[in-house]
Formats: sequence, structure tokens, C-alpha cells
Amino acid sequence: MPLAAFIAVSAALFFIGVAGVLVRRNAVVILMSVELMLNATNLAFVAFSRRLGVAGERGSVFVVFIFVVAAAEVAVGLAIILAAYRNRPTVDVDQLDEMKG
Amino acid sequence: MPVGPFGLDPLLWAIVRLLIAVVLVVALILNSSLLLIYLERKIQAVMQDRIGPYHTGPFGLLQTFADALKLIAKEDVRAGHTDVAFFIAAPALVFTPMLASYVVLPFAPPLVGADLNIGLLYLATLGSMGVLGIVIAGWASNNKYALVGGLRSAGQLISYEVPGILSLVTAVLVVGSLSMVKITETQTGPLVNLFVLPLAFATYLVSSLAETNRTPFDLPEAESELVAGYLTEYSGMRWGTMLALTEYGNVVVVCSIMTTLWLGGWNGPGVAALPILGVVWFTLKVYALILVFMWVRATLPRLRIDQLMSFCWKILIPTTLLNLAVTAVLLIAFPSTLVPVAIANWILLVAFIVLLPVVQQRRLRQLRKTLRARTAAAGVAS
Amino acid sequence: MLDFLGLVVFAIFTIMIVGAGLGVVLANRVTTSALLMAFTFLNMAGMFVLLGAETIAAFQVLIYVGAITVLILYGVMFTPQTPRAYGLFFQKQTPWGAVLAALAALPVIVVAFSFHDAKTVAPPGGDLNALAIAVFNSFAFPFEVASVLLLAAMVGAIVLVKRESPAAPPAAPLRRSEPPR
Repeated sequence: MPLAAFIAVSAALFFIGVAGVLVRRNAVVILMSVELMLNATNLAFVAFSRRLGVAGERGSVFVVFIFVVAAAEVAVGLAIILAAYRNRPTVDVDQLDEMKG
Repeated sequence: MPVGPFGLDPLLWAIVRLLIAVVLVVALILNSSLLLIYLERKIQAVMQDRIGPYHTGPFGLLQTFADALKLIAKEDVRAGHTDVAFFIAAPALVFTPMLASYVVLPFAPPLVGADLNIGLLYLATLGSMGVLGIVIAGWASNNKYALVGGLRSAGQLISYEVPGILSLVTAVLVVGSLSMVKITETQTGPLVNLFVLPLAFATYLVSSLAETNRTPFDLPEAESELVAGYLTEYSGMRWGTMLALTEYGNVVVVCSIMTTLWLGGWNGPGVAALPILGVVWFTLKVYALILVFMWVRATLPRLRIDQLMSFCWKILIPTTLLNLAVTAVLLIAFPSTLVPVAIANWILLVAFIVLLPVVQQRRLRQLRKTLRARTAAAGVAS
Repeated sequence: MLDFLGLVVFAIFTIMIVGAGLGVVLANRVTTSALLMAFTFLNMAGMFVLLGAETIAAFQVLIYVGAITVLILYGVMFTPQTPRAYGLFFQKQTPWGAVLAALAALPVIVVAFSFHDAKTVAPPGGDLNALAIAVFNSFAFPFEVASVLLLAAMVGAIVLVKRESPAAPPAAPLRRSEPPR
């Protein structure tokens, strides 16, 4: 498989995630879209790591760190969503505007 | 053009081999579940001074076959307002990872589906995938008992994954490989890992009891408080797949992991001369562990959900972490011998067994005190 | 022949990833989105296996499917929603957002397809040892930082979600007036 194929899939998934973040109202779905974006970058990292010399799996190491960041992000993100939901029973991001000046 | 076995094209042979393997594994799971359910009922009966199933066939041996036929022939019932697609998908989501784990189990030297060099990681991965199906089952049933049961079960499974994987890591540190075949090959002598790492074995045994939803951790299907948990709305073969096949299939998988890691897998007298004999040893060890599971089920009462969670997070995880740290340090300090690791592990095991009741007693007393204070305060307030 | 098979598998994974990814964005029920997301992650693990990175694939399934999706499902079930029209699942600026994403995607995809040297990505056998050595030698410090990050995230999540139980009495003054027997 040529490298371009993997990178193209990665790019497609990344921009699907971008569109999800821009388009959806539900905060949980936005979190999911962010996860999709992170995962797309994982694919790009692994593909480049494979193609441009495997020198000590450096690309894959970054994937491991992205896993850590994704897990931390989803835990804190969900906690924030739940805390906000408790104050006001909605997960629509355009209704959570208490901090509007 | 290369020619594979039986004069077939290699690709075609690969596909045929895959089909044969799948049929064999499904047959294995079905038959071993039937056998295990029979054994479970019979052994519990013996332990509780009853006779157990005895009407159908000699010694009641055909009872579970009859039950299975009944389940298959049962009408496919779905309660109203269930979420059709998810409801149907959930049993498959629970069953498939369990099925896939049989790929790497090393039954005998010539009988290994695939010797992945990440075999153990693969098993841990598939073990964590079943949770998804359970949550979906609870959600799709559109029933609050099922939902609460599903969420409880997911919480329990995710929590007990941590000590389970930590115990596995401890054993992997000693063995030095994740490949199931290599792990087995390191334990050819009579000195299997059980004698080196008894505490890791004990903690893994406890957490695998929880992972497979066995008593005393069978909270997800606690009949007395949650009807039947996430299984409430299921019937017929869907129920059979989720409960019987998956539970007993998973029991076989975790017992195989323990057999491979701690009991030396297929190794036994005569295996060097006749490799296929490994199946017998492997099966015997797995069934011995399964008997322990059944013994536990017949002996211990069910825990409460808060006891279950606090046991995992406050006792099991610190213990496994301590064990992991001690093992790692000793392995670095004495790279040539396993004796210090073994000594430390036995000491830790004894300490664990002695201290566990003491700690639990203290916590219980504390809890009673708080509750009494709270009751007294409520009495004053009213 | 095997090359062709690899191509077919790649095509299947691609279709699944893109299709399920679109499903996550377009589905009107959050549970469906979450399941499709898990499906995307599974197929992504398949991609990693195609690339010969099976350790990464196993971690992908372990973390994303086994943990993150379940966590998100928890989040979905704790934030119930009222049913409403399909259009209301999207923001007001949806067309603009879609156009913006497409515009940004174009140059990236052009760049992606510019990698056309004939050399293919060669999956070497097994990445477990190389990965372990890299993580615990050259990247040992980032690894420790990552563990601190996880700890911080755990503490933060617990603090954010923990709620004082309303049933508990305002204990302190009452206890002083009447000590527990």
C-alpha cells in the first residue's frame, strides 16, 4: 500500500472530526469528534513511522502519548459536561452561555 | 505457483483453515459450556447435599442438552420499546470478543491457532471489549433494572480489569514475553510460576472471578436486587448466548490464561515425546481451576456493590501495585535468580491473607460508627 | 495475490472508517454515534495491523473501545435528552462549518496525495520490542510526565463530578450537641 493511501484516510477522518466539532450541538458528540481527530493523527503517525525509517519506532511512541492524552481528555471532558448538566439540564453547547459577557 | 497442503492454492487453504478453525472453536465453546453447566449444577448439588439433575439421560448428563434445545426452540420474544438494532447486536458484541480470544490459547505444541508475539495483550484487549456489549444490552432493553445492571456491570468490569492486568504484568516481568507459546516454554520444569508468584496468582484469580461475573462478584445478575441485571429482557437463545455461552466461554479463557502463566500450560510428563499429549495436561489444569471457581461459587455469598468497588480500589489495586513494584525492583537487583522474588511474593501473600480480615474489620467498625452517628443526628434533627 | 488481498482489506477498512466517521457526525442519536465511534476505532486498529503495528492496534482497542467508548456511553446515559427534530441536532452555523471544514480539507488531501513515490509502506515483523525500548529509554521522561497527566486528569474528574450527598445531615453542630452513643 502506498503511504498516500494511509495519509488520505487519516486526513479524511480528521476533517470528519473537524466538521463534527463545528456542526454538532451536543457536547458529548463534540467530544467524540475530538476523539476521531486524535485517532486520525494516530494513523498518520504510525504510517509515517513505518515509511520514513522505523528508527526506534519514534512515530509509534507519539501514538502512545496521544492515547494518554485522549484518555485524560475524555475523562475531564465528561466530568465537565456532567457538572454543567447538573447545573442546568442541557448538553447543548450553544445554551451553555453563562459566562457570556 | 506455490501449492499449499492438499494441493490447494495457499490463499484458498488459508480460508479453508480459517473456516475449520472457527467451526472447531464454536463447537468447543458450545460443548464445554454444556459440560460446565452440568458440572456446575452437579458439584453445587454435592456441596449443598442435594442430588442435582438426574432425570434426563444417565446421571442427568443430557439435562443441559435438553435445556439448550429448549432455548433454541424458544420463541423470539422482544419487549416493547426496546431498541431493536442494539438489542440484537448486544449478544454478538459480548460473544465475539470471547470467541476471538480462543485464537491465541496454547492447547498443545501443535495446537495453537496463532502464536502472536503480543498474545497476552491481545487477550487483555478482548477481555475489555465485552463491556461494551453489556452496556449496550442494558441500554437497549429500555428497562431501568437492565440499565442499572448494565452500568454496574461495566463499572465492575472496568475496575477489576486494573488489578487483573497488573497481576498479568507482574507475571510477564518474570517470564519476559507476551507470547503465550514462549510463556509456556519457560516453564518446562516442575517449578512453575505459581511457586514464584503466588500473590499475583491470587490477585488475578480474584479479579478474574469478577471479570467473568462469577459469585461472589455476580452483581450484574443479582436476582434479588436487580431482577437479572442487563439480562432482564433477554430470553431464548439471546439469553443463552449472553449468559451461558459467554460466561462459561470466558471462564475457560481466564482459566487458560492462569494455566499458561502460572501452571505451566501444556507442560507435563510425556509431552516432550508426544506433543499432542499437551492437550490433556492443559485441559486437566484448566478444569482444576474451573473447579476452584465452582467451589468459590458454592461457598461464598454475594458482595454488595459498594463492598465490591471498595475492595477493588482500596485493597486489590494497592496490593497488586505493591507486588509489581517489589517484583520489578527485585528482578533488577538480582537479575540471575528468581529466589528473592519468590520469597518476597510468599511473604506478601501471607501478609495479604493475614491483614485482609484485620483491615476489613477496622473498616467495618468505622462504617458502623459513622452510620450510628448519622442515625443519631437524624433523630435529633427530626 | 496476497497484495491484492491486502488492497481489498485496506479498501474495506477505509470504507468502514469513513462511513462510520460520517455516521458519528450525522447520527441523530448519541448512543448510535458512540457505537459508530467504537466501530471506527476498531477499523482503525485494523489499519494499524495492516501497517504491522500490532501492539499499537491492541492498545487502540484496549483504550478506545474498552475504556473511552464505555466512558462516553456513561456520559450519554447520565445526560438524557428530549427527542426533537433532526435539524435541531446541528448548530445554526452548520453550512458555514461544513464549508470551512471542506475548504481546510482540500489542501491537506492534495498534500496527502503528493506522496507518490512508488515505495510502499513495509510492515516489519512486530513492533513490540522496538516500542518498549523507545518508550522506556529515549522517551522515559515524557512517559513519566504522561503518567502525571493521567493522575491529574483522574483527580480533576473526581473533584468535578463528586457531589456532597444532600441526604447527609449538617452533621457538625448536631453531633456536638448530642454525641453518638
